[in-house]
Amino acid sequence: MPPRMEELQQRTRRYFLRSCPLALGSFALAEFLGRAAHAAETERSTINPLAPRAPHFKAKAKRIIYLHMAGGPSQLEMFDYKPALQKHDGQACPQEFLEGKRFAFIKGVPQMLGGRYQFQQRGDAGTWVSELLPHTAEVADELAVIRSVCTDQFNHAPAQLLMHTGNQRLGYASIGAWATYGLGSENQNLPGFIVLVSGGKTPDAGKSVWGAGFLPAVYQGVQCRSQGEPVLYLNNPPGIDAEMRRTTLDAIRDLNMLQNERFGDPDTLARVGQYELAFRMQTAAPEVMDISKEPAATQEAYGVELGKLSFANNCLLARRLVESGVRYVQLFDWGWDHHGVSDRTDLRYDLPRKVASIDRPIAALIKDLRQRGLLDETLIVWGGEFGRTPMRENRGGSYGPYIGRDHHPYGFTMWMAGGGVKRGLTYGATDEIGYYAVENKVQPHDLQATILTLLGLDPFKFSYPFQGLDQRLIGPTSEPKVVKALIG
Amino acid sequence: MCPGLAYWMYLDIVPLPMVTRLLTFILCAIALRASEPGKLSFNHDVRPILSKNCFACHGPDASSRQGNLRLDTRAGATGAEGGHAGIVPGDSAKSRIVMRITHPSAPMPPAGAGDRLSAAEIEIIKRWIDEGANYDRHWAFEPPVRPDPPKVRQTDWPKNEIDYFVLARLEAEGLTPSPEADRYALARRLYLDLVGLPPTPEQARAFAEDGSPNAYERTVDTLLNSPRYGERWATVWLDLARYADSKGYEADRLRTMWPYRDWVIRALNENMPFDRFTTLQLAGDLLPVPTRDQLIATGFHRNTMTNDEGGTDDEEFRDAAVKDRVATTGQVWMGLTWGCAQCHSHKFDPISHKEFYELYAFFNQTEDADKVHDRPTLKLDKKTTTLIMRELPADKRRATRIHLRGNFLDPGDPVEAAVPDEFHPFPADAPQNRLGLAKWLVDKNNPLTARVTVNRFWARLFGAGLVETEEDFGNQGASPSHPELLDWLATEFMRLDWDMKGIQKKIVMSATYRQSSNASTAQVERDPYNRLVARGPRVRLDAEMVRDQMLAASGLLSEKMYGPPVMPLQPDGVWQVVYSSDRWETSKGEDRYRRALYTLWRRTSPYPSATTFDAPSAEVCTMRRIRTNTPLQALVTLNDPVALEAARHLAARALDGPDSDVPDRIRRAFQLALVRPPAEEEVARLAALYEEARRKLEADPEAARDLLNVDRIVYATDRATTLIPDSREQPVEWRYRVEEPPENWFHPRFKDSSWKKGQSMFGHIKPKKKREKKPGEEREEEEDDSGYAKPEASTLWVSEKIWLRRQFTVDGPGFEGFRVAARFRGSFEVWINGVPAITSGDAESGPVDLKISAAAERTIRPGKNLIAVASTRTIEGDGDQFIDVSLTALRPPDYERSRADDAERAAWVTVAHVLLNLDETLAKR
Repeated sequence: MPPRMEELQQRTRRYFLRSCPLALGSFALAEFLGRAAHAAETERSTINPLAPRAPHFKAKAKRIIYLHMAGGPSQLEMFDYKPALQKHDGQACPQEFLEGKRFAFIKGVPQMLGGRYQFQQRGDAGTWVSELLPHTAEVADELAVIRSVCTDQFNHAPAQLLMHTGNQRLGYASIGAWATYGLGSENQNLPGFIVLVSGGKTPDAGKSVWGAGFLPAVYQGVQCRSQGEPVLYLNNPPGIDAEMRRTTLDAIRDLNMLQNERFGDPDTLARVGQYELAFRMQTAAPEVMDISKEPAATQEAYGVELGKLSFANNCLLARRLVESGVRYVQLFDWGWDHHGVSDRTDLRYDLPRKVASIDRPIAALIKDLRQRGLLDETLIVWGGEFGRTPMRENRGGSYGPYIGRDHHPYGFTMWMAGGGVKRGLTYGATDEIGYYAVENKVQPHDLQATILTLLGLDPFKFSYPFQGLDQRLIGPTSEPKVVKALIG
Repeated sequence: MCPGLAYWMYLDIVPLPMVTRLLTFILCAIALRASEPGKLSFNHDVRPILSKNCFACHGPDASSRQGNLRLDTRAGATGAEGGHAGIVPGDSAKSRIVMRITHPSAPMPPAGAGDRLSAAEIEIIKRWIDEGANYDRHWAFEPPVRPDPPKVRQTDWPKNEIDYFVLARLEAEGLTPSPEADRYALARRLYLDLVGLPPTPEQARAFAEDGSPNAYERTVDTLLNSPRYGERWATVWLDLARYADSKGYEADRLRTMWPYRDWVIRALNENMPFDRFTTLQLAGDLLPVPTRDQLIATGFHRNTMTNDEGGTDDEEFRDAAVKDRVATTGQVWMGLTWGCAQCHSHKFDPISHKEFYELYAFFNQTEDADKVHDRPTLKLDKKTTTLIMRELPADKRRATRIHLRGNFLDPGDPVEAAVPDEFHPFPADAPQNRLGLAKWLVDKNNPLTARVTVNRFWARLFGAGLVETEEDFGNQGASPSHPELLDWLATEFMRLDWDMKGIQKKIVMSATYRQSSNASTAQVERDPYNRLVARGPRVRLDAEMVRDQMLAASGLLSEKMYGPPVMPLQPDGVWQVVYSSDRWETSKGEDRYRRALYTLWRRTSPYPSATTFDAPSAEVCTMRRIRTNTPLQALVTLNDPVALEAARHLAARALDGPDSDVPDRIRRAFQLALVRPPAEEEVARLAALYEEARRKLEADPEAARDLLNVDRIVYATDRATTLIPDSREQPVEWRYRVEEPPENWFHPRFKDSSWKKGQSMFGHIKPKKKREKKPGEEREEEEDDSGYAKPEASTLWVSEKIWLRRQFTVDGPGFEGFRVAARFRGSFEVWINGVPAITSGDAESGPVDLKISAAAERTIRPGKNLIAVASTRTIEGDGDQFIDVSLTALRPPDYERSRADDAERAAWVTVAHVLLNLDETLAKR
């Protein structure tokens, strides 16, 4: 098999050598880099693995903003309206829901716990939304709410990995890595896959959630930070300004070209190219990361707090990034693990604060994208790694002063918007007390298959050879399904 | 066309087949040349087509087999086993599969399962059937037979057997080998390959000027006997062992595995034979009377991850660890993807679902069970307890069952420990346990262990293996570029009784290895990835070498070996791990400049500059690193404070050496970084850079000062001074109260004499529940295995809030860079001299290390100053609450220098920085 590969590379290499004569002067180099940055899809760039590439078929979404509420947001307090559960509030949970089940913390027989907040049908479509989400309710008609998501993982780290890499174990590639591997990026001065974290901590499963797994490391998510350096190692060290950096890079380029003449290795040219890209990234990244340049009204709409690390800031940043052509923007917001073991994990004391911190920014993001004509081609995905139990958590077998719910994989809510998704849709349902998804179940692999399809990638064919298998995001079996009902 | 094909150009290593049908024909043309003229070779020509397109549904896995048709064996394909006959040998026209693959409207493979076969592929299948549909066993499952070196025409070139194989192939292709590399290139190549560090200019010159015939061999021997050798080759092995200093998964707490890492270094330096190296790691505990070191060696399979997350099922993660051990063993020793068979029989290779669990049974009898305080452990000294392997006593052995669909909650039939049928029998005299399995792996009848191991050595030395897919020697893997050479090396390795240094010496002594890596355009076009080895290796350095070389060139590198992992400089804020109070505290003294393999490796947050250069996260076994070339790498070597620190010291070596004129100093710096002497045009370009940089820096003295002291700004451990220590270093006295104080309580002039006095730290840590001691359990197992201190409170604080005040003394002017580090749960605020200095912000707990506000810094004067802290607890699940605040600053720099001096020195830093960033510096050539 490799000989086929070799020939292919040889062919590309010939193109490469033709395009960049060995004695490149700086003029020729600039031209060469320009070409690299605007490589046509047929003759892919040899300098930049993130050059844009054509999808398998026409894409509905060109880019993605994925909003992950790490910890598992409570669907019963936000989107899944269960009046019947209310009636059972405080009653012992029936045995049928406990037998053969494993919970993270619930022991013995817990009580049922009715939703703590009022619901109302919102928008023309009459989507059920709780009172905690007044702003999101205003854009309810943009959402396709999926109330029947289930997963088979009930611990944070494996559940997050399954949701983002298609496998609960470590070592697999995240959706963002797959997307940039398949499609490249439209902006060569920025990473193609950017991760923004709020809530004070990185996700439970660590950086593997945005890792490249077996894909080349170049496709892993690059964490950008709204405080300090936007990208690790991005800033010039003290004492080196842009002019001095240019002087340095000129010397590096000239010496590399001399060495290339001497030793004839085309990889040297590739490295020269990477230094130039790095230089451009140093200018472009801080610019795009600077949300203070946004008009006051926009900042106000998102609820931005300049200089702070917040979900609102990250939402505005996400819009700036997709607007700049970044392929995949992943937001993680930590602090949704409302077990009810302290005031900070209580459904009454903390959840409203937490929901308020995302409600306004998300609504602003959707409106902002819509107003800029970007919503149609930008897919937004919202959700956690699992939901929360209809039972009240009784950690240690008893109840204290706080109210919360345990991890719940059997039925929870996520939503999508924009990017070719059907507007104003409510899809799937849980049973009357919100325990099991009973209608149109959607598994993580189904979601991933749907997301790839919206991006114009065939989830069943899109693969990468590793360990003797053509690895796919959606796993090796033929079970996953594209949820066609979600696609507008 | 496959998405993302051409960018493979950026990766030094070519991945497996992202194949276009178009090019199949070329494959065959090339393959044909290598095999018997006229007749197709099943393994080279036919099997890849069948494996890629057919075996998934018509292969070894009976459960997924479609249409009762099997194509991976001749008996299956001809219907002799009772299934449908797809093939009629000798008659392609009557063969059903030919009808199916050429079907005009519904061809095989079906839509969704793959693309149509190309015309060329169909032709091969037809011709192969017409020629008799001969099946050969997959080459890698036949034991290697020692071939005689082939005849060559250029008889004066070969230096040893290796060269005959390489040259014969080159001559068949009409190519000639490259001349020997120049002495400096050879010296650098040998040093980097064998000890992972470049030679000093003196060592390189001595080598270059030594005209004696055995100079090369003497150097090879010296390097193989250097203690640095074990460090270099341990980094190779530790990728396979998925060695890390943390447990993985959610909490990813630290644990003590470094004694295992040290064992690997020592074993490699002692040149332990590979069979023994294998046995000790897989089964050291099963030897009659295992020594301490033999037990430490079993840490190999204790490197699996364990999950501390609350509420996890220990059995689930114990099971995951056992599966990982099976998969890793298959990968490391046999280059096979056994892990694929955990859910169903392997789709391509002869390992069934049942056989996977028979292998699993070997590993299913150990005591470890994914507990928070995981046993068994071995206490090495007062401070060090590490994880080891131990077999369960006879009465507690586990029954092993097949896991249906790989799910441990869904057990199937019981199985006993056994090895897969396809391979040589289990040694008759060996016990049916891990020790026996180890013997089976290093049995001289094992077709793969020696091949996989020599292939790994070859790959580390040449940049790519003879079998490019080091991780897959199975049906889906790449064919060897030089099958006879691979077999010769494998048999030679066994003939030398698994002498690792011996076989490596053989390779580096060859003329093949010594070739120049310079390439003409024609050569690059002809063989871009140098698979024919008509020139020497040229690949980007590994992450570890990038760091180590930089430190070596600048003279900063510490030669200290062994011991607990260290924390070199890394950017602030990289470590933010859920539920952990561990923090990255830059190591002091020489520990800051240790070789990369001693860097503390946390799986969920690995050292960022190393991962940028493709170091794996060590969650699972990594058989080969895919090398990439990205702009982020340029940012590391340009902006990482480690690179700047190295540049500063490299500059000092050039400047403070015996040379006094600019070109000589440039030559000195150049050789320190690149080993070879520079060409005159290179000296001229660097001199121009030096002049330009000096002009700029003379005009900008602040920049010059910054460049010289770059680590002063952010990471000044050298100049750091402690004004209030962390309580772990030294508890200190504060004034405190827990009732709401008057509004101006944080003001310096506020009278706090009525407040209570207490020693830091303040708080309440819930005592750990004591586990009940089981009979026969050893004492040390009660201890925390992380090796890192947990916080302890000196002054009890259990209420919701606390207010603290303390004076601190600054002894002189010029202090700067004041930082507050705090360990806390909940939130805290700090005032200095009555001015707000810090708030904890969104973080709910942590160690944090923050610069104080500029307004607060401006109030600090020589003499007495006041710090005030208010903290509010949060009640997390475990109920712990604590606050501990320390204060550090940077002493004023202790030198005075003229501006001209600064500009000159800083300009040399610029020169050195450029040298460390050249492509040649970052590559092995």
